[in-house]
Amino acid sequence: MSHTLLQRPAWYVIGPLMGLIVIAAFALLNERVGVIGGFSDVVERLTGRRSVLGWKAWFVFGIVGGALVFRLLAGGATVRHGHHFSWLTRELSGGSGGLVAGGVLLVAGVLIGFGSKTASGCTSGNGLGGCSTGSPGSLVATGTFMAVAIAVSFLIRAVT
Amino acid sequence: MNRARLASVLLGIGFGFLLSWAHFVDPDQIRRMLLLQEPYMWEFFAAAVAVGFVGIRLMRRARVRSLLTGEPVRWSVAKPERRHVVGATIFGVGWAVSDVCPGPVAAQIGQGIVWSLPLITGVAIGVALHFRREEGPAPAREPESRGPAPLKAGTLLPASSAD
Repeated sequence: MSHTLLQRPAWYVIGPLMGLIVIAAFALLNERVGVIGGFSDVVERLTGRRSVLGWKAWFVFGIVGGALVFRLLAGGATVRHGHHFSWLTRELSGGSGGLVAGGVLLVAGVLIGFGSKTASGCTSGNGLGGCSTGSPGSLVATGTFMAVAIAVSFLIRAVT
Repeated sequence: MNRARLASVLLGIGFGFLLSWAHFVDPDQIRRMLLLQEPYMWEFFAAAVAVGFVGIRLMRRARVRSLLTGEPVRWSVAKPERRHVVGATIFGVGWAVSDVCPGPVAAQIGQGIVWSLPLITGVAIGVALHFRREEGPAPAREPESRGPAPLKAGTLLPASSAD
């Protein structure tokens, strides 16, 4: 069981399963999936902007729980680079590098939160959900964040 | 826990499990995707959207009603606006630097990845900054407008943020 889970399945297995989540969200709740909306619900609740958590907050709590269930069943995490996380922590290792890497991740998080909220969706809301509905705004947003992320990734590789 | 919350949590559990299983939570895999070194994530994404795209249209055509809200399956679409491009550009930079987006960061927290703590803190700050900016210099809180979040007519579903 655990060995099977730590191997990623073929894209044509896992992709359609993810598509079924998009379908199930409509079949059960008549809603488009979205993760940044769940973060937003929690922030709005904590800052007094709303008095009840919206359904997406519960969806995000479920994601945390689903990943925990996965880790327990698989017997390990699917981020396994020793104490490293990504290119960033490898590049900035040693001395106070870890602290700097944490700071860069915090700033990257701010860009992710601010940007996806401004664009009304992240990789799931605009990418999965919005593209499934065929929303032109979501298609433009998805094309933009993918193109920008590819360009910036090549830029990072060129300078590191 | 009402049925809508339970359904939301169950959908999330499925989503988080699949993100973990597909290794979408692994920043190195996202980096290989964004450096166009590996087609896996692109194929995964395209297959998910294709299945979703066809599936929800079949439900709409068959006039399927949503199980918990009782309404016919339907959705609204948005015209492209400046905010889609500006917001997605800012998001794209953060995505490329961290190789993580909001779904995976929640899943990483669930998997117990400590590096995700500054990241998720940043996401929350970014969302809060968006509200600060949108609401302008006026006081952010309007106590008189606080009340139960509007419920959709005839449903159990607590309204969520639109994103």
